[in-house]
Amino acid sequence: MKPVYLADFGLACSLGRGKPEVLAGLRQRSQPVATRHLPGMMGGDFPYHAIPGSAGDWNERARELVRRVSEEAGGGLIRNSPLFIATSSFDIGAAERGEADIAYDLFAAKVADWLAWTGPVHVISTACTSSLNALLAAHALLASGEVEDALVLGIELDNRLTLAGFAALQLLSTTTSQPFGLHRDGLVLGEAVAALRLTTGAASRWRLLGGAHVVDGTQPTGATPSAVVAMHRQALAAAGLGAGEIDLIKVQAAGSPVNDGVEAQGLREVYADMPPLVSLKASVGHAMGASGAVELALLACCLDADAAWPACRDALDEALGVTLATVRPEGVRRVMATILGFGGSHASVVLERT
Amino acid sequence: MKPLRITGRFDAMPPPADWREQLAMLAGGKPRRISLWTELGLYGALSCMAQAGEACLPPGAALWLGSRRGTHVATVSVIAQLRDELPMPLSFLQTQPSQSLAILGAQLGWVGSACFVAGGSPAALLQLATARMGEAGVLLGWVDDMDGGSSHWLRLYPEAGDGGRAASEPNAAHPMVDGIWSDLGAGRVKC
Repeated sequence: MKPVYLADFGLACSLGRGKPEVLAGLRQRSQPVATRHLPGMMGGDFPYHAIPGSAGDWNERARELVRRVSEEAGGGLIRNSPLFIATSSFDIGAAERGEADIAYDLFAAKVADWLAWTGPVHVISTACTSSLNALLAAHALLASGEVEDALVLGIELDNRLTLAGFAALQLLSTTTSQPFGLHRDGLVLGEAVAALRLTTGAASRWRLLGGAHVVDGTQPTGATPSAVVAMHRQALAAAGLGAGEIDLIKVQAAGSPVNDGVEAQGLREVYADMPPLVSLKASVGHAMGASGAVELALLACCLDADAAWPACRDALDEALGVTLATVRPEGVRRVMATILGFGGSHASVVLERT
Repeated sequence: MKPLRITGRFDAMPPPADWREQLAMLAGGKPRRISLWTELGLYGALSCMAQAGEACLPPGAALWLGSRRGTHVATVSVIAQLRDELPMPLSFLQTQPSQSLAILGAQLGWVGSACFVAGGSPAALLQLATARMGEAGVLLGWVDDMDGGSSHWLRLYPEAGDGGRAASEPNAAHPMVDGIWSDLGAGRVKC
C-alpha cells in the first residue's frame, strides 16, 4: 500500500472564497448568515450559509467557483488523473431554474468541461457523506498504485430541493447551528465547493491514513450509536491506530437534537480518554455532499499555527458528556474527521501530520 | 487490479411480468413506500444473493450501486411540487440515492460500507468497488428504471486469499461475463 498525501486543497464556503478569505472570515467570529424562504404551511424563513459575493446564472456561478477551488488545490496539474465529484444535489439548482436537465452524465461532463479535465470522472452521491466516500474511493485507488494523483471535488450549491426536503423532515433550525448545544434545535444548511488534491508522488504536510464508512439502514434519516461506534473502530483499524492515538476529532455535531446525542454516546463508548473535539457547523453550516471536503479543508486551515479556531459560542449540553475545544489543541498530529448523514450513513477518515 | 470470482449473477432487462411477486417472495413481503428504482434494485440484489446461495451479506462485504438515471423520476417530481409547497418527506428521501443503499442494507440484514456512483459505466463502478474490496467481497449492482427497467447484479469475491467460499465453492450456474459487464476484462474474472 502506497502512502497517500493531501497535496493541497481549495475551498469556497460562507466564510469566503479561497484560503485567505476563509481564514479572515473565521477571525471575524461573527458570520453573516443569509436567509432562504420556503413556501407552504411548513415553510417560512430559514438561515442558510451562502457563499458570499455572487448572484445570477447558476451554471456561471458554479463554473467560477469550481474553477477557482480546483485551481487553488492545484487541480490544473493533474487534469489527466481521476476526478471524484462528491455531491448530493448535483446541478439541481440549475434544473429548478430551467438552466439544466437532470442527468448524471451531463452533470459530470459539464464539470469536466469547466475544468478542461481529461482523466476519468466518477460522481459519488451518498448524501452527507459523499465527500468522505469519494475520499475513501480515491484513497483506495491511490494506495493500490493504480493511479498517482486524484482530485476530490465536493460540490453543494444553492437549491430549493435540499432545503425544502430538510424542512419537510423538520430537521432545520430557524435560528443558528448549535453543535452539542443545550438549546440546539436543528441543522443550518449551507453551500460549499471544496477540492482536495491527493497524491502518492511526494510527501506533504498531511497524510491520509484511511477511514471507514458504515451504513445502518435501520435509521434511514439519522445515526445509530452502534454504527457510530463501528465507524470509529473501523476507521482506527484502517489507520492502524488505537483510540488513544487520536489527538483531535472533527465531529459532525450539526446541532440536531437527536443525532448530536447519538454521536456523543458513540464517542464516549470508543474513547475512554476523550480527545479534544471540534465542530465546524456553526462556521460553515452543513454543506451536505460537500461537507466532508470543505470541513477537512477548513480543519487543515484551522490547524495552521496562526489561524483562528472555530470555538463554540453557545452553552453546551452537559448531559451529552462531551465538550468542544475552545482553543486550538497543542501538538495535534492525528485527526479523525467524521460526517454522519442520510441513509444511515456514517463516515470517517484519519489524517496524520507528517 | 485484483482478480475476481463471480459467485452470483442476476440480470433482468426488462424484468419479467411477475417480478413484483417474485420480489415479495424474496423479501418476505411487498416492499412499501419505495420508488420503482429502489424496487428494481432490491429485486435484483435479492435475486443475485439467492443465486449466490447467500442468505445474508457478510459484515465485511461492501455494497456498490451504479445507475445512469438513478433517482431522476423522483427528483423531477419533487421539483414540480416545490413550486407551491414543501415536498412530502418520503418524496424527498426518494431523491437521495443513499436511501436505496439503506433499504438494501436493511433488507439484506447487513450493516457495512455502501456507495452509490452516479452515471459513468459498470466497468468504472467495478474498478472503484474492487479497489477497496476485502475478503468478504462486494455486491455490485447497476439499476435503471427507464425503458421497462433493468437490474444487473454480481456477487464478487477476490480470487486470491483465504476467502474460503470464494476459493472452494465457485458457483458455476451463471453465464459468462457479458452484457453490461462485458468490459470487466478477460483474465480478471473467473466464473
